[in-house]
Amino acid sequence: MKRHYLFILLGLLALSCTKMPIDETGLLITTRSQCYMTFFDLLGSDHRTVLVSGQTKIDTEAQTVTAVARFGTNLQRVKPYCSVVTDAIVEPTMGIWTDYTQPQQYTVVSGNRTVRKTYTVTVTLQQ
Amino acid sequence: MKKLWTLLLAGVVLQACQKSDDEASGPLQNDLLKKTTGPAVVGDRMEFAYALGTLEGQLKEVRVEATIAGGTGTGFSRYSWYTNRNTGVDQPVQTASDTTTTGAVSTASLLGGENQSAVTLRYYYAPTEEAKGRDVRFRFSGTSSTGKEVRFESPAYRISRMDMKRTLQLTDGAKAYVSIADMAVYTKEEVERNNLAAKIDFVYLYRPTLSGFTFGHAWVAPSRSEYLSDVSLPAGLTTRTLMDKRVDVKDAQLRGTAGFDVYIDDIDLERTTFTNASDYAFGLTADQGAFVKTANGAYAAYVYVNAVNNTEKSMTVSIKRLQLN
Repeated sequence: MKRHYLFILLGLLALSCTKMPIDETGLLITTRSQCYMTFFDLLGSDHRTVLVSGQTKIDTEAQTVTAVARFGTNLQRVKPYCSVVTDAIVEPTMGIWTDYTQPQQYTVVSGNRTVRKTYTVTVTLQQ
Repeated sequence: MKKLWTLLLAGVVLQACQKSDDEASGPLQNDLLKKTTGPAVVGDRMEFAYALGTLEGQLKEVRVEATIAGGTGTGFSRYSWYTNRNTGVDQPVQTASDTTTTGAVSTASLLGGENQSAVTLRYYYAPTEEAKGRDVRFRFSGTSSTGKEVRFESPAYRISRMDMKRTLQLTDGAKAYVSIADMAVYTKEEVERNNLAAKIDFVYLYRPTLSGFTFGHAWVAPSRSEYLSDVSLPAGLTTRTLMDKRVDVKDAQLRGTAGFDVYIDDIDLERTTFTNASDYAFGLTADQGAFVKTANGAYAAYVYVNAVNNTEKSMTVSIKRLQLN
Protein backbone atom coordinates (compact mmCIF):
# COMPACT_ATOMS: atom_id res chain seq x y z
CA MET A 1 0.00 0.00 0.00
CA LYS A 2 2.88 2.29 0.92
CA ARG A 3 4.50 1.63 -2.44
CA HIS A 4 1.20 2.44 -4.15
CA TYR A 5 1.14 5.93 -2.63
CA LEU A 6 4.76 6.43 -3.61
CA PHE A 7 3.91 5.72 -7.26
CA ILE A 8 1.01 8.16 -7.16
CA LEU A 9 3.26 10.83 -5.69
CA LEU A 10 5.93 10.22 -8.31
CA GLY A 11 3.28 10.35 -11.02
CA LEU A 12 2.00 13.69 -9.73
CA LEU A 13 5.52 15.06 -9.56
CA ALA A 14 6.22 13.99 -13.12
CA LEU A 15 2.98 15.62 -14.27
CA SER A 16 3.80 18.89 -12.50
CA CYS A 17 7.14 19.00 -14.27
CA THR A 18 5.57 18.69 -17.74
CA LYS A 19 6.09 21.94 -19.65
CA MET A 20 2.97 23.45 -21.23
CA PRO A 21 3.83 25.03 -24.56
CA ILE A 22 3.69 28.82 -24.86
CA ASP A 23 3.47 30.97 -27.96
CA GLU A 24 5.87 33.71 -29.02
CA THR A 25 4.04 36.26 -26.86
CA GLY A 26 4.32 34.08 -23.75
CA LEU A 27 0.69 32.97 -23.72
CA LEU A 28 -0.15 29.38 -22.85
CA ILE A 29 -1.15 27.11 -25.71
CA THR A 30 -3.93 24.90 -24.38
CA THR A 31 -6.08 22.09 -25.73
CA ARG A 32 -9.19 24.16 -26.36
CA SER A 33 -10.39 24.36 -29.95
CA GLN A 34 -13.30 26.78 -29.50
CA CYS A 35 -12.83 29.88 -31.56
CA TYR A 36 -15.25 32.82 -31.52
CA MET A 37 -15.71 36.44 -30.47
CA THR A 38 -18.16 37.19 -27.65
CA PHE A 39 -18.09 40.99 -27.25
CA PHE A 40 -16.94 44.06 -29.16
CA ASP A 41 -16.51 47.68 -28.07
CA LEU A 42 -15.08 50.84 -29.55
CA LEU A 43 -13.72 53.77 -27.50
CA GLY A 44 -13.33 57.40 -28.53
CA SER A 45 -10.43 59.74 -27.71
CA ASP A 46 -11.97 60.32 -24.28
CA HIS A 47 -11.80 56.56 -23.64
CA ARG A 48 -15.55 56.19 -23.48
CA THR A 49 -17.58 53.89 -25.67
CA VAL A 50 -18.81 55.42 -28.91
CA LEU A 51 -21.15 52.57 -29.79
CA VAL A 52 -24.92 52.85 -29.66
CA SER A 53 -26.12 50.51 -26.95
CA GLY A 54 -27.85 47.33 -28.15
CA GLN A 55 -26.93 47.73 -31.82
CA THR A 56 -23.75 45.65 -31.91
CA LYS A 57 -24.25 42.28 -33.60
CA ILE A 58 -21.69 39.50 -33.57
CA ASP A 59 -22.43 36.75 -36.09
CA THR A 60 -20.15 33.82 -35.24
CA GLU A 61 -21.22 31.84 -38.31
CA ALA A 62 -20.77 34.57 -40.86
CA GLN A 63 -17.79 35.80 -38.80
CA THR A 64 -18.92 39.41 -38.87
CA VAL A 65 -19.34 42.16 -36.36
CA THR A 66 -21.58 45.12 -37.15
CA ALA A 67 -21.89 48.08 -34.84
CA VAL A 68 -23.29 51.59 -34.93
CA ALA A 69 -21.27 54.54 -33.61
CA ARG A 70 -23.00 57.56 -32.16
CA PHE A 71 -23.66 60.70 -34.20
CA GLY A 72 -20.52 62.77 -34.55
CA THR A 73 -18.02 60.01 -33.74
CA ASN A 74 -14.64 60.50 -35.35
CA LEU A 75 -14.25 57.01 -36.81
CA GLN A 76 -10.71 57.77 -37.91
CA ARG A 77 -9.48 57.62 -34.31
CA VAL A 78 -11.15 54.93 -32.23
CA LYS A 79 -9.80 52.13 -30.10
CA PRO A 80 -11.32 48.61 -30.46
CA TYR A 81 -11.65 46.03 -27.69
CA CYS A 82 -13.21 42.57 -27.75
CA SER A 83 -13.75 39.47 -25.67
CA VAL A 84 -13.12 35.99 -27.02
CA VAL A 85 -13.78 32.42 -25.83
CA THR A 86 -11.43 31.05 -23.14
CA ASP A 87 -7.74 30.78 -24.15
CA ALA A 88 -8.30 32.23 -27.64
CA ILE A 89 -6.30 35.22 -28.88
CA VAL A 90 -6.88 37.94 -31.47
CA GLU A 91 -4.57 39.01 -34.28
CA PRO A 92 -3.64 41.77 -34.81
CA THR A 93 -3.73 43.10 -31.27
CA MET A 94 -6.66 45.37 -30.48
CA GLY A 95 -6.47 48.37 -28.13
CA ILE A 96 -4.65 50.73 -30.47
CA TRP A 97 -6.00 53.79 -32.28
CA THR A 98 -7.50 52.54 -35.51
CA ASP A 99 -9.24 54.06 -38.52
CA TYR A 100 -12.71 52.48 -38.78
CA THR A 101 -13.91 54.41 -41.79
CA GLN A 102 -13.33 51.11 -43.61
CA PRO A 103 -14.20 47.60 -42.26
CA GLN A 104 -11.38 46.05 -40.28
CA GLN A 105 -10.44 42.37 -40.06
CA TYR A 106 -9.33 40.48 -36.97
CA THR A 107 -8.52 36.80 -36.66
CA VAL A 108 -9.57 34.85 -33.58
CA VAL A 109 -7.18 31.97 -32.91
CA SER A 110 -8.23 29.07 -30.67
CA GLY A 111 -6.43 28.06 -27.47
CA ASN A 112 -4.70 25.15 -29.25
CA ARG A 113 -3.69 27.61 -32.03
CA THR A 114 -5.03 25.36 -34.76
CA VAL A 115 -8.42 26.96 -35.50
CA ARG A 116 -8.42 30.46 -37.00
CA LYS A 117 -11.50 32.49 -37.82
CA THR A 118 -11.30 35.90 -39.43
CA TYR A 119 -13.98 38.39 -38.40
CA THR A 120 -14.85 41.45 -40.42
CA VAL A 121 -15.82 44.38 -38.20
CA THR A 122 -17.97 47.05 -39.80
CA VAL A 123 -18.91 50.21 -37.95
CA THR A 124 -21.39 52.71 -39.36
CA LEU A 125 -22.29 56.15 -38.08
CA GLN A 126 -25.65 56.86 -36.51
CA GLN A 127 -27.71 58.64 -39.16
CA MET B 1 37.55 36.88 26.82
CA LYS B 2 40.15 39.64 27.19
CA LYS B 3 39.92 40.34 23.45
CA LEU B 4 36.16 40.76 23.69
CA TRP B 5 36.48 43.33 26.46
CA THR B 6 39.06 45.26 24.41
CA LEU B 7 36.71 45.39 21.43
CA LEU B 8 33.80 46.55 23.58
CA LEU B 9 35.93 49.29 25.11
CA ALA B 10 37.09 50.46 21.70
CA GLY B 11 33.47 50.63 20.57
CA VAL B 12 32.43 52.73 23.53
CA VAL B 13 35.35 55.12 22.94
CA LEU B 14 34.44 55.52 19.26
CA GLN B 15 30.79 56.21 20.12
CA ALA B 16 31.82 58.86 22.65
CA CYS B 17 34.01 60.61 20.11
CA GLN B 18 31.14 61.05 17.58
CA LYS B 19 29.50 64.48 17.66
CA SER B 20 25.75 64.51 18.04
CA ASP B 21 23.76 66.07 15.16
CA ASP B 22 22.58 68.95 17.31
CA GLU B 23 26.10 69.79 18.36
CA ALA B 24 27.30 69.67 14.76
CA SER B 25 24.65 72.03 13.39
CA GLY B 26 24.47 74.50 16.27
CA PRO B 27 21.60 75.99 18.20
CA LEU B 28 19.96 77.58 15.11
CA GLN B 29 18.60 75.19 12.51
CA ASN B 30 16.48 75.43 9.37
CA ASP B 31 14.68 73.31 6.80
CA LEU B 32 12.72 73.84 3.63
CA LEU B 33 9.64 72.20 2.16
CA LYS B 34 8.28 72.92 -1.31
CA LYS B 35 4.52 72.80 -0.90
CA THR B 36 3.49 73.26 -4.52
CA THR B 37 3.36 69.95 -6.35
CA GLY B 38 2.44 71.15 -9.83
CA PRO B 39 4.62 72.65 -12.54
CA ALA B 40 5.84 76.22 -12.03
CA VAL B 41 3.81 78.19 -14.56
CA VAL B 42 3.70 81.92 -15.19
CA GLY B 43 0.41 83.07 -13.71
CA ASP B 44 0.63 80.73 -10.73
CA ARG B 45 2.82 80.85 -7.62
CA MET B 46 5.21 78.33 -6.10
CA GLU B 47 4.78 77.96 -2.36
CA PHE B 48 7.54 77.06 0.08
CA ALA B 49 7.49 76.53 3.84
CA TYR B 50 10.75 77.69 5.43
CA ALA B 51 11.18 76.46 9.00
CA LEU B 52 13.58 77.91 11.59
CA GLY B 53 14.23 76.99 15.17
CA THR B 54 16.72 78.22 17.77
CA LEU B 55 17.81 76.98 21.17
CA GLU B 56 19.34 80.35 22.07
CA GLY B 57 17.62 83.75 22.00
CA GLN B 58 14.82 84.51 19.52
CA LEU B 59 14.50 84.39 15.77
CA LYS B 60 15.13 87.75 14.17
CA GLU B 61 15.00 87.77 10.38
CA VAL B 62 14.65 85.49 7.38
CA ARG B 63 15.84 86.20 3.88
CA VAL B 64 15.67 84.48 0.52
CA GLU B 65 17.43 85.26 -2.71
CA ALA B 66 16.12 83.77 -5.94
CA THR B 67 18.45 83.30 -8.90
CA ILE B 68 15.79 84.95 -11.09
CA ALA B 69 13.68 87.79 -9.70
CA GLY B 70 10.03 86.82 -9.22
CA GLY B 71 6.99 88.76 -10.37
CA THR B 72 4.12 90.37 -8.51
CA GLY B 73 3.13 88.30 -5.51
CA THR B 74 6.64 87.11 -4.72
CA GLY B 75 7.65 87.33 -1.07
CA PHE B 76 7.16 86.05 2.44
CA SER B 77 3.79 85.87 4.06
CA ARG B 78 3.55 87.47 7.48
CA TYR B 79 1.60 84.48 8.74
CA SER B 80 2.42 80.99 9.88
CA TRP B 81 -0.31 78.40 10.18
CA TYR B 82 -1.39 75.93 12.78
CA THR B 83 -4.19 73.40 12.88
CA ASN B 84 -6.85 74.09 15.46
CA ARG B 85 -7.25 70.79 17.27
CA ASN B 86 -10.87 71.45 18.11
CA THR B 87 -12.01 72.29 14.59
CA GLY B 88 -9.30 70.73 12.41
CA VAL B 89 -9.13 73.98 10.47
CA ASP B 90 -5.80 75.63 9.66
CA GLN B 91 -5.55 79.07 11.20
CA PRO B 92 -3.07 81.87 10.60
CA VAL B 93 -0.79 83.32 13.26
CA GLN B 94 1.12 86.49 12.56
CA THR B 95 4.82 85.77 12.96
CA ALA B 96 6.47 88.53 10.91
CA SER B 97 6.13 92.24 11.55
CA ASP B 98 7.25 93.29 8.12
CA THR B 99 8.00 91.64 4.78
CA THR B 100 9.67 93.19 1.75
CA THR B 101 10.69 92.08 -1.72
CA THR B 102 13.23 94.02 -3.74
CA GLY B 103 14.34 92.46 -6.98
CA ALA B 104 15.29 88.86 -6.29
CA VAL B 105 15.60 89.31 -2.52
CA SER B 106 12.74 88.91 -0.08
CA THR B 107 13.01 89.43 3.66
CA ALA B 108 10.80 89.09 6.70
CA SER B 109 11.43 90.68 10.09
CA LEU B 110 10.08 88.39 12.74
CA LEU B 111 8.01 89.67 15.61
CA GLY B 112 10.45 88.34 18.20
CA GLY B 113 9.25 87.95 21.76
CA GLU B 114 9.78 85.22 24.28
CA ASN B 115 7.95 82.49 22.47
CA GLN B 116 9.38 83.00 19.02
CA SER B 117 12.08 80.40 19.00
CA ALA B 118 10.54 78.41 16.11
CA VAL B 119 8.53 79.50 13.09
CA THR B 120 7.56 78.20 9.67
CA LEU B 121 7.13 81.02 7.20
CA ARG B 122 5.47 80.76 3.81
CA TYR B 123 7.40 82.07 0.82
CA TYR B 124 5.69 82.53 -2.54
CA TYR B 125 7.49 82.83 -5.84
CA ALA B 126 5.69 84.06 -8.94
CA PRO B 127 7.61 83.05 -12.09
CA THR B 128 7.93 85.70 -14.78
CA GLU B 129 8.09 85.55 -18.58
CA GLU B 130 11.86 85.96 -18.30
CA ALA B 131 12.15 82.75 -16.24
CA LYS B 132 10.30 80.53 -18.75
CA GLY B 133 12.24 77.37 -19.55
CA ARG B 134 15.00 78.26 -17.07
CA ASP B 135 16.00 76.82 -13.71
CA VAL B 136 15.50 78.86 -10.57
CA ARG B 137 17.16 78.24 -7.18
CA PHE B 138 16.57 79.81 -3.80
CA ARG B 139 19.07 80.62 -1.07
CA PHE B 140 17.22 80.88 2.23
CA SER B 141 18.85 82.19 5.38
CA GLY B 142 17.76 83.02 8.91
CA THR B 143 19.32 84.92 11.83
CA SER B 144 18.71 84.85 15.54
CA SER B 145 19.05 87.55 18.21
CA THR B 146 22.36 85.99 19.30
CA GLY B 147 23.86 86.74 15.88
CA LYS B 148 23.83 83.16 14.64
CA GLU B 149 22.96 82.52 10.97
CA VAL B 150 21.83 79.44 9.03
CA ARG B 151 21.44 78.90 5.31
CA PHE B 152 19.49 76.53 3.08
CA GLU B 153 20.17 76.10 -0.64
CA SER B 154 17.17 74.77 -2.53
CA PRO B 155 17.51 72.43 -5.50
CA ALA B 156 16.88 73.84 -8.98
CA TYR B 157 13.28 74.09 -10.16
CA ARG B 158 12.51 74.29 -13.88
CA ILE B 159 10.02 76.98 -14.83
CA SER B 160 7.52 75.76 -17.40
CA ARG B 161 7.52 77.10 -20.96
CA MET B 162 3.74 76.97 -20.96
CA ASP B 163 1.43 79.97 -20.92
CA MET B 164 -1.70 79.81 -18.84
CA LYS B 165 -4.90 81.78 -19.01
CA ARG B 166 -7.75 81.17 -16.61
CA THR B 167 -11.49 81.77 -16.79
CA LEU B 168 -12.16 82.89 -20.33
CA GLN B 169 -15.87 83.46 -20.80
CA LEU B 170 -17.40 82.07 -24.01
CA THR B 171 -20.93 82.87 -25.15
CA ASP B 172 -22.74 81.28 -28.06
CA GLY B 173 -23.38 83.86 -30.78
CA ALA B 174 -21.26 86.53 -29.08
CA LYS B 175 -17.80 85.92 -27.55
CA ALA B 176 -17.53 82.65 -29.39
CA TYR B 177 -14.31 82.85 -31.43
CA VAL B 178 -11.30 81.41 -29.62
CA SER B 179 -7.71 82.13 -30.58
CA ILE B 180 -5.04 79.92 -29.01
CA ALA B 181 -2.30 82.20 -30.39
CA ASP B 182 -3.80 85.16 -28.54
CA MET B 183 -5.22 83.13 -25.62
CA ALA B 184 -8.33 85.25 -26.08
CA VAL B 185 -11.97 85.10 -27.12
CA TYR B 186 -13.51 87.45 -29.68
CA THR B 187 -16.89 88.38 -31.09
CA LYS B 188 -17.62 88.14 -34.80
CA GLU B 189 -17.29 91.94 -35.08
CA GLU B 190 -13.92 91.94 -33.35
CA VAL B 191 -12.64 89.21 -35.65
CA GLU B 192 -13.72 91.15 -38.73
CA ARG B 193 -12.63 94.58 -37.47
CA ASN B 194 -9.16 93.41 -36.45
CA ASN B 195 -8.71 90.97 -39.32
CA LEU B 196 -8.21 88.00 -36.98
CA ALA B 197 -9.70 85.25 -39.18
CA ALA B 198 -6.41 83.36 -39.50
CA LYS B 199 -5.97 83.33 -35.74
CA ILE B 200 -9.34 81.80 -34.87
CA ASP B 201 -8.91 78.15 -33.92
CA PHE B 202 -12.44 77.18 -33.03
CA VAL B 203 -15.96 78.46 -32.53
CA TYR B 204 -17.95 77.85 -29.38
CA LEU B 205 -21.61 76.96 -29.78
CA TYR B 206 -24.37 75.36 -27.75
CA ARG B 207 -27.12 73.30 -29.33
CA PRO B 208 -29.03 70.84 -27.13
CA THR B 209 -29.50 68.68 -30.23
CA LEU B 210 -28.24 68.73 -33.78
CA SER B 211 -29.88 66.72 -36.59
CA GLY B 212 -31.99 65.06 -33.89
CA PHE B 213 -29.02 63.83 -31.87
CA THR B 214 -27.60 65.08 -28.58
CA PHE B 215 -24.96 67.74 -29.22
CA GLY B 216 -24.59 70.14 -26.27
CA HIS B 217 -21.68 72.51 -25.71
CA ALA B 218 -19.17 72.27 -28.54
CA TRP B 219 -15.94 73.61 -29.99
CA VAL B 220 -15.89 73.41 -33.74
CA ALA B 221 -13.02 74.35 -36.05
CA PRO B 222 -14.09 76.47 -39.05
CA SER B 223 -13.18 73.54 -41.33
CA ARG B 224 -16.03 71.45 -39.86
CA SER B 225 -18.81 73.31 -41.67
CA GLU B 226 -21.59 70.74 -41.11
CA TYR B 227 -21.73 71.64 -37.40
CA LEU B 228 -21.61 75.37 -38.14
CA SER B 229 -24.31 75.50 -40.80
CA ASP B 230 -26.56 77.79 -38.74
CA VAL B 231 -23.71 80.06 -37.55
CA SER B 232 -22.99 83.34 -39.32
CA LEU B 233 -19.20 83.13 -39.40
CA PRO B 234 -16.86 86.05 -40.03
CA ALA B 235 -15.39 86.06 -43.51
CA GLY B 236 -12.19 84.14 -44.14
CA LEU B 237 -12.41 81.48 -41.44
CA THR B 238 -10.92 78.23 -42.76
CA THR B 239 -8.58 76.80 -40.12
CA ARG B 240 -8.60 73.09 -39.28
CA THR B 241 -7.69 72.83 -35.63
CA LEU B 242 -7.07 69.35 -34.29
CA MET B 243 -8.87 68.36 -31.09
CA ASP B 244 -8.81 65.33 -28.82
CA LYS B 245 -11.54 65.35 -26.23
CA ARG B 246 -10.73 64.19 -22.68
CA VAL B 247 -13.02 63.56 -19.76
CA ASP B 248 -10.46 62.62 -17.14
CA VAL B 249 -7.81 65.37 -17.22
CA LYS B 250 -8.86 67.69 -14.41
CA ASP B 251 -5.80 69.92 -14.29
CA ALA B 252 -5.47 71.38 -10.79
CA GLN B 253 -4.06 74.71 -12.00
CA LEU B 254 -6.71 75.24 -14.65
CA ARG B 255 -9.38 74.08 -12.24
CA GLY B 256 -8.06 76.55 -9.67
CA THR B 257 -8.97 74.41 -6.69
CA ALA B 258 -6.88 72.48 -4.22
CA GLY B 259 -7.27 68.78 -3.74
CA PHE B 260 -6.62 67.73 -7.31
CA ASP B 261 -3.18 66.47 -8.19
CA VAL B 262 -3.39 66.11 -11.95
CA TYR B 263 -1.24 68.56 -13.87
CA ILE B 264 -0.61 69.19 -17.53
CA ASP B 265 3.13 69.74 -17.88
CA ASP B 266 5.29 70.83 -20.82
CA ILE B 267 5.99 67.24 -21.77
CA ASP B 268 2.29 66.41 -22.09
CA LEU B 269 1.80 69.11 -24.68
CA GLU B 270 5.08 68.34 -26.44
CA ARG B 271 4.28 64.65 -26.82
CA THR B 272 0.55 64.70 -27.42
CA THR B 273 -0.07 63.12 -30.80
CA PHE B 274 -2.93 64.21 -32.97
CA THR B 275 -2.89 61.40 -35.53
CA ASN B 276 -6.33 61.32 -37.15
CA ALA B 277 -7.66 63.68 -34.49
CA SER B 278 -10.99 65.34 -35.19
CA ASP B 279 -11.52 69.06 -35.69
CA TYR B 280 -14.39 69.36 -33.20
CA ALA B 281 -15.35 68.32 -29.70
CA PHE B 282 -18.92 68.27 -28.50
CA GLY B 283 -20.98 67.10 -25.55
CA LEU B 284 -18.58 69.01 -23.32
CA THR B 285 -19.45 69.49 -19.68
CA ALA B 286 -17.64 70.92 -16.66
CA ASP B 287 -14.32 69.25 -15.74
CA GLN B 288 -13.81 67.97 -19.26
CA GLY B 289 -11.54 69.37 -21.93
CA ALA B 290 -9.56 68.72 -25.06
CA PHE B 291 -5.99 68.72 -26.27
CA VAL B 292 -5.82 71.15 -29.15
CA LYS B 293 -3.23 71.74 -31.85
CA THR B 294 -3.42 74.82 -34.02
CA ALA B 295 -3.67 74.37 -37.77
CA ASN B 296 -0.20 75.86 -38.37
CA GLY B 297 1.34 73.52 -35.79
CA ALA B 298 2.65 76.48 -33.77
CA TYR B 299 0.84 75.68 -30.52
CA ALA B 300 -0.41 72.71 -28.56
CA ALA B 301 -2.83 73.46 -25.77
CA TYR B 302 -5.15 71.91 -23.26
CA VAL B 303 -8.47 73.69 -23.06
CA TYR B 304 -10.32 72.89 -19.86
CA VAL B 305 -14.02 73.48 -19.19
CA ASN B 306 -14.52 75.15 -15.81
CA ALA B 307 -18.28 75.57 -16.13
CA VAL B 308 -21.16 75.43 -18.60
CA ASN B 309 -24.52 77.16 -18.52
CA ASN B 310 -27.28 75.81 -20.74
CA THR B 311 -29.67 78.71 -20.11
CA GLU B 312 -27.18 81.42 -20.94
CA LYS B 313 -25.53 79.27 -23.63
CA SER B 314 -22.15 80.00 -22.14
CA MET B 315 -19.00 78.27 -21.02
CA THR B 316 -16.00 79.20 -18.88
CA VAL B 317 -12.68 77.76 -20.01
CA SER B 318 -9.04 77.88 -18.95
CA ILE B 319 -6.08 77.21 -21.24
CA LYS B 320 -2.54 75.92 -20.89
CA ARG B 321 -0.57 76.45 -24.06
CA LEU B 322 2.89 75.53 -25.30
CA GLN B 323 4.63 77.02 -28.31
CA LEU B 324 5.92 74.14 -30.42
CA ASN B 325 7.90 76.01 -33.06
